Amino acid sequence: MSGWEGFLHGLSVALQPEVLIYCVFGVVLGTFVGVLPGIGAMATISLLLPITYYLSPEAALIMLAGVYYGSQYGGAVASILLRLPGTPQSAVTTLDGYPLAQQGRAGVALFTSMTSSFLGSFFGICVLIVLSGFLSRAATAFGAADYAAMMILGLVAASTIGAKHPAKGLAMVVLGLILGCVGTDVNSGAQRFTFGQAELMDGVNLVALAMGLFGVAEVIANIQVAERTGVPRRIAMRDLLPRREELKRIPFPALRGASLGSFFGALPGTGSTISSFLAYATERRISRHPEKFGNGAVEGVAGPEAANNAAAISAFVPTLTLGIPGDPIMALMLGALVIHGVQPGPLMLEARPDMFWGLIASFGIGNLLLLILNLPLIGIWVSMLRIPFRWLYPAILIFVCLGVYSVRGAPFDIFAVALIGAIGYALSLARFNPALLLLGFVLGPLIETNLRRALLISRGDPMIFLERPISAAFVAAIAALILVSVVQSLRRVRPA
Amino acid sequence: MKRDIPDLAGGAILAAIGLFIVIYAAVHYDMGSVRRMGPGFFPAMLGGVLAVLGLVIAVPAWMRAGQETPIAWKDALAVLVALLVFAAGVERGGLVPVTVATVLIASIAAPDRRLGWRVLLAVVVTLLSVLVFHYGLRMTVPLWPS
Repeated sequence: MSGWEGFLHGLSVALQPEVLIYCVFGVVLGTFVGVLPGIGAMATISLLLPITYYLSPEAALIMLAGVYYGSQYGGAVASILLRLPGTPQSAVTTLDGYPLAQQGRAGVALFTSMTSSFLGSFFGICVLIVLSGFLSRAATAFGAADYAAMMILGLVAASTIGAKHPAKGLAMVVLGLILGCVGTDVNSGAQRFTFGQAELMDGVNLVALAMGLFGVAEVIANIQVAERTGVPRRIAMRDLLPRREELKRIPFPALRGASLGSFFGALPGTGSTISSFLAYATERRISRHPEKFGNGAVEGVAGPEAANNAAAISAFVPTLTLGIPGDPIMALMLGALVIHGVQPGPLMLEARPDMFWGLIASFGIGNLLLLILNLPLIGIWVSMLRIPFRWLYPAILIFVCLGVYSVRGAPFDIFAVALIGAIGYALSLARFNPALLLLGFVLGPLIETNLRRALLISRGDPMIFLERPISAAFVAAIAALILVSVVQSLRRVRPA
Repeated sequence: MKRDIPDLAGGAILAAIGLFIVIYAAVHYDMGSVRRMGPGFFPAMLGGVLAVLGLVIAVPAWMRAGQETPIAWKDALAVLVALLVFAAGVERGGLVPVTVATVLIASIAAPDRRLGWRVLLAVVVTLLSVLVFHYGLRMTVPLWPS
């Protein structure tokens, strides 16, 4: 199926009423949680996992993806109006968005962020179509050793690139990998680390893990913090329209941001947060007026917002074509698919065209909806910022309990959520990133299977990882990343 | 004495977990060979890596000052007790009383000290969860204590 035919086929899937309604639900909910500081896309997707049991895999994936890119649109609102990033991806938008708001130009900042987000997403969709066709053909040459090496590279990259404490990130990944071992070993049938608990035979429950780490732990951390948000002023439609001279400064930064974002989004380990920072740095560097950055430069909003949205879309490339999630959110998406018995991989384009193209078409529909709904409805989203967190978090907790209980009717899972929530809160206090734990958890069984298969093929010779050119390249990249972080850490200990 | 307590404790705990995993896997599971890995091989390897990483985190933390991290004891306690009450009560206590109790306990942590909003919130959340989960998704949980 060519790209265009595929897209049309996808439209026929995504426009079915029972799919479309979940797309709309996903993007609206995503914008809502994106706007609210205190709950992010990660928590919301975790909370929605039990609901996906009641949906078709297509509708489930389209809804969860909608939450993700919808939250990117919403995240900018709190960044601009309150200097509180609603999502980490929009943190950099505070730098110029908030000064614009202080100058009474909040509407223009919001307009810029919405239109750039749309441009970025659209660019990301094109990249996704082109790259996934290419990658799924290339991936047929991938062997077990290549898969194992690539997944390990993804984990190492996610925990070291841009990290202040790479060892802490790596430790979280390894802890996640160990948690992924719990349950019945696929090869031998042995019960690993179940400690006689029948509930653990299928492994640690992904839903309980995600809800504990992101639902419960984030609620605890935000009860006091999220209450302190100020009340923003009302914003009318006519405040949104930029001056002609400002309008001209949107498209090119947005396009540059979109290119950066779709490139880094597709790479394992680098995602939308890093892309948005890179886009900001690029705009400031090439600007003729770098002094305007930080004081309300439209380019400083357009570039990063286009970048993080493009990255959110192109992040689906490795997830869908190789079955390898590059960041924790994609790990959750993959987990949701596995719940439905769908294992993404190179064959997915051929075997499940409905899901693949339906998702891509839903990106187009969802982003169009976000653009045409959010600009007129901006007043409503701004007023959402007035909802106190104390009204929301008890409801979130009930939703967590009922959701995780509904999966298989085991109170054990609610106890597990409480325990994991406590651990997650402790981790966040000690500044360990629980999202990396989840990434390791999802990739663990895949890495183990491919590692064992690779070494079985090579008769136990680990040189197979260096003899195959693809895996050798990944191994070299892993070594380089570890070397760089070791050098950086040593420099920090002994400043020259 | 300047110590980075969160990193020191975190690293030490992770190292201990790693060591435990290595020993537990070695005692209980077949290691196999590199060619045919047994069920114990991969976890034991990971446990070893985790133990080393734990030390890498903990040792430098011994020699530097850490940041002050305020712990929200009350919030954590209220949220966790609320969850435990729900987990313990959901099958025998009935959905309605358990939900009301969970919301009221969780709301103790909120900075607003008044009572009215808590009761209102408990009623609204209970109503919604009965509608969505009992009637909407047809979950088989009794509404009232049996």
